[in-house]
Amino acid sequence: MGTRWLGVGLASVLAVVTLGLAFTGRLGLYINPDSAWFAVGMAVVVLIGAALSFALPLGAESDHGHDHGASAPAERGALRKERVGAAESGHHHPNHPDSATPDHAHPAHPAHPAALAATVVGGVAASGVVLLTLVLPPASLSAELAMSRDVGAPPLFAGSDAVALASTGDTASFGVGEWATVFATATNPDAFDGDTVTLTGFVTPGDGAAGGFDLTRLVITHCVIDAQPASIPIAASDALETGQWVTITGTVSSTADGRLQIDASAVEPIDEPTDPYEY
Amino acid sequence: MAASSPSRVAAPPHTAARASGRGAWIAVGIGVLVIAALFLIDALAPALFPTSLPTRAQDGLTLAISVLIESLPFVALGVVLSIVVQVWVPPGVIERWMPRRAWARRMVLSLLGMLVPVCECGNVPFARGLLMRGFTVPETLTFLIAAPIVNPIVIITTHQAFGFDDGILIARLLGGYAIANLIGWLYSRHPDPDGLLTDRFRETCALVLDEPGGRGRRSLAQFVIELRAVMPALVIGSALAGAVQVLIPREALLAIGSNPALSIVAMMALAMVVAICSNVDAFFALSFASTFTPGSIVAFLLVGPLVDIKMLALMRTTFTTRTLAGIVVIVVLSAFAIGTVVNLLA
Repeated sequence: MGTRWLGVGLASVLAVVTLGLAFTGRLGLYINPDSAWFAVGMAVVVLIGAALSFALPLGAESDHGHDHGASAPAERGALRKERVGAAESGHHHPNHPDSATPDHAHPAHPAHPAALAATVVGGVAASGVVLLTLVLPPASLSAELAMSRDVGAPPLFAGSDAVALASTGDTASFGVGEWATVFATATNPDAFDGDTVTLTGFVTPGDGAAGGFDLTRLVITHCVIDAQPASIPIAASDALETGQWVTITGTVSSTADGRLQIDASAVEPIDEPTDPYEY
Repeated sequence: MAASSPSRVAAPPHTAARASGRGAWIAVGIGVLVIAALFLIDALAPALFPTSLPTRAQDGLTLAISVLIESLPFVALGVVLSIVVQVWVPPGVIERWMPRRAWARRMVLSLLGMLVPVCECGNVPFARGLLMRGFTVPETLTFLIAAPIVNPIVIITTHQAFGFDDGILIARLLGGYAIANLIGWLYSRHPDPDGLLTDRFRETCALVLDEPGGRGRRSLAQFVIELRAVMPALVIGSALAGAVQVLIPREALLAIGSNPALSIVAMMALAMVVAICSNVDAFFALSFASTFTPGSIVAFLLVGPLVDIKMLALMRTTFTTRTLAGIVVIVVLSAFAIGTVVNLLA
């Protein structure tokens, strides 16, 4: 029973969570929607396998071999050698099958108490994490985490394509990630001066520029664990709490020292969107 | 099926087969009901637990869940491939194509990743399938270490991120290939390669070899056994990766900055901690490229796929702690050496 729960059980719960998120359109909270088809497809495979595995009587996967007891591992070693023996014959192989017998003839059953304890603790911990996954509502990463990941280096996910695209003026589809790349890498800031933008993100403290904040968004390549913050400086008079989601409308302008920022004409606080990440 | 050819089957087994067949379908029906119940819990339970966790715990859990959801399909694919090589490919079919010399076999196996599109989490169950099939421990290790790097998806994403700048792509590919063959060669000198495996895995192999019944039944048994071996390790590895990310401030590692030697150490430590899939770690590394030396980026790209926290937890299902410690030391030292060479040349 424990075997089934820790293997097929944990996998099934995660497959159910994956499909549940996919049905409700929230899989983007955890992984890039581009790879959703794969996650959903394999989750279905896991569930089919899990349903079929009920037909395998409990313990049937481990009934055999218990009678073999102590010698089973060594026998297997010998058997594996036989199978590859022909191909290996040219190569000197120091491990004669017999040599494995005395050292590794642990009886299959009474396991070491420490090993048993480790198995139990690990099993309980894994079950706990998976059950929390099942019963807690999905969540997005916090603004604090986004700030702690800001390493000061400009994010470069979009690469030079975005900058090339931006200089043609076709910036309608740009999010915070693309603009952050453009702001960090543009060689000719004046080219963007005056572009109007509408962007959504959350507020993080700016780097000291008077009366402004940074508009931040986490950008995901594959899944949330590789999320990296992208932020752009906003000049606005509103005082907003860190972590507050806002939609800003404004224009790109270059400052006296040649850096780009956005002069906000409107800052509208909103609830967290259902798609909090950019990809 | 026995039931379809009653003339050749005596009466009692015939009825027994039919009865057990019906029992099996009832059991599958129960399985479907249990899964339906899980869906209900998934849909309804969040409403019962409206209070959220503290921010930091919630972030850690979110990160862990994202790794789990992201890697589950690859693990499932790995288990399916493991079942295929263990149960469905007849003995000798793969072996016939392999060179005879041990080092040549290892060199070919370390290219197997080009054909098997599984990212590193899926490689572990697949490698277990290879071991059960009769490949030696050093050969399987060579595959397991090479496949996450010498792999078409990884080559494409690394090229997208870095192009051929600074030789990062070349150093990563050749370095991964060389480290894998080095580890394979070192462990082929080991006097008792089977001693590198955990007792539990050796017991599992013994069970699998004796597994009775048709291929369908053996496939199911293998499905149960492999998931049992891999899932707890995957969950714990993901939870650790999530916890470490919210507990260790990233600045602590990055403060080390652009010192040629220390930056390599810092990026290797970061690689082990963040546990990002090798498919995408190039994009992650790209954002460090402006502040860190090229050699440290290469070290990051070599260490991450091979011995990060999640991968170690998964490999521990099969290899002893001692073996893993040896692998980590070899990988870290090799990556440091390769990173240093890249720094000197670049």
